[in-house]
Amino acid sequence: MKDLIFLTYSEIKTKLNDGSLKSTDLVSAYINRIEGTDSKVKAFLELNKDRILKQAEESDGRRKSGKLLSEFDGIPIGIKDNICITGEITSCSSKILENFRSPYDATVIQRLKDKGFVFFPRLNMDEFAMGSSTENSAYQTTRNPFDTNRIPGGSSGGSAAAVAASMLPVSLGSDTGGSIRQPAALCGIWGLKPTYGRVSRYGLVAYASSLDQIGPFSNDLQGISDLLEIISGLDHKDQTTAKVNPFEANSISSIDWKGKRIGVMKAEEFNFSPDVNKRYADILNELKSKGATLVPLDFSLLKYAIPVYYLIATAECSSNLSRFDGIRYGLRKEGAGKLEDLYSESRTAGFGPEVKRRILLGTFSLSSGYYDAYYGKAQKARVLIRKQYAEFFKSVDIIFQPTSPTTAFKVGEKTKDPIQMYQADILTTSVNLSGVPAISCPAGLDSSGLPIGLQITSSHFDETKLLSYAKSVSELEICKLALPTEIT
Amino acid sequence: MDEKELKNIANLAKLNIEDSEVSSMLNDFSRIVQYVDEIKNLDTTSVGDDEIYEQIFYELRKDLAENGLKRDDLAKIAPSYENGYVVVPKVIET
Repeated sequence: MKDLIFLTYSEIKTKLNDGSLKSTDLVSAYINRIEGTDSKVKAFLELNKDRILKQAEESDGRRKSGKLLSEFDGIPIGIKDNICITGEITSCSSKILENFRSPYDATVIQRLKDKGFVFFPRLNMDEFAMGSSTENSAYQTTRNPFDTNRIPGGSSGGSAAAVAASMLPVSLGSDTGGSIRQPAALCGIWGLKPTYGRVSRYGLVAYASSLDQIGPFSNDLQGISDLLEIISGLDHKDQTTAKVNPFEANSISSIDWKGKRIGVMKAEEFNFSPDVNKRYADILNELKSKGATLVPLDFSLLKYAIPVYYLIATAECSSNLSRFDGIRYGLRKEGAGKLEDLYSESRTAGFGPEVKRRILLGTFSLSSGYYDAYYGKAQKARVLIRKQYAEFFKSVDIIFQPTSPTTAFKVGEKTKDPIQMYQADILTTSVNLSGVPAISCPAGLDSSGLPIGLQITSSHFDETKLLSYAKSVSELEICKLALPTEIT
Repeated sequence: MDEKELKNIANLAKLNIEDSEVSSMLNDFSRIVQYVDEIKNLDTTSVGDDEIYEQIFYELRKDLAENGLKRDDLAKIAPSYENGYVVVPKVIET
């Protein structure tokens, strides 16, 4: 029998339900894997074995007595350290929330609990989800399971690396400018950013509220569609959740490429790393040979996406993170004489350099004299980007792009230069700005054995179409890759 | 951006900047501002102020009272808490 940890999500689900696998055996196998491997990967900030095993035992008990909560009962899932679970620490990989135990469940957690999932919390991330490499965690730098000298991407680097290193089959992350899709691409797994408004943000510690969205990572596509069905839907605790038709996992089916109009980047616009360029061109050629029509789109607005993203995201973060003031929860720097000093001393001690940089940029762009030129202008530019996507979908069925301009870079390679780091999100941020859904699909390995990702984007709330295309991509030989068994 | 302006922004954001950090922060900050300045080249005159707020299918919840977080749970996460109140340094001079 295949080692339990190397089972796909679908195999796990089948085996749990046909009685050939117990949740405790599966969970124990993952705990062993984590204990043997995570010293190299550093995906977990904490591993509460007793609590996790107890949940698995309860699930097996329900299965034995015929009181299963759902067909998902007993499936393990990793949770990024910015999604609240009652009684667990939710630190956002920041010192300012080092000891914060959440008094409530995020809506997504409540929905997963109702189905009987077993939680592995506290997956490492860039502090407050600000970064593209997971090097901005206040605690540890997560490593790429394909090459531990390299970064896993970010900000949900722990969630992606845990799945890629076969320490879990599925996990949740959050995506504000690419934080699910980029690490999924660099770690060779599936990662979905749902349409803005599809999934409740209640209990997700806010970074940039108009862009943030929770989404799943998985070692197969079924895990993505199942999790999306479970976590999505209207929630009166998040007023930005949309009243739309619910997503149904069984609505996904492979598509016939013949006659499909696929929006692609113009050859002169994809000046990415040679291996990424070549794989992208090869995939497009294959789709063409299967009868799809390639439609070059004008992505010239894209060059504004990162500046627009950084202005809007940092403005929202400077406002959202003002709640961390040392008063009601989180770190308080004792000894401050005055209230004002307590605020600034607690915040100065609690936040890391990138978080401070972004709070300062956001405060600057919202401040008197700069508002119109920066924040106001960025808001209008965002409208143009949104309209651009609406225009695209009048002429194409779907859009295919690489997810990341390069494969995983080395730890430390870009930390000195914030602008260079920001460029890692060039292909992902415009998706958040327009609110549409996008998925990163594994697209094979480059010449050094590192994963490449393919980003597929559809129109608002059309995840059924998005994931149907993804299913067809998963059937292409050129996109197949195997996750590493030994982590060195 | 000069040191005075940086410190003013930091004060608005309630962050302290050490003198030893000023020059590297100014350097990072000017580069980032220069980078985002690129949006000035984009013509946005076609966008009306009212277009900024996206049409989303918001659904209002029923106006019913529900149980929220309990006071005891909030006491557990507060850095300093006494007799039902969060304790802060003295704010008003007597």
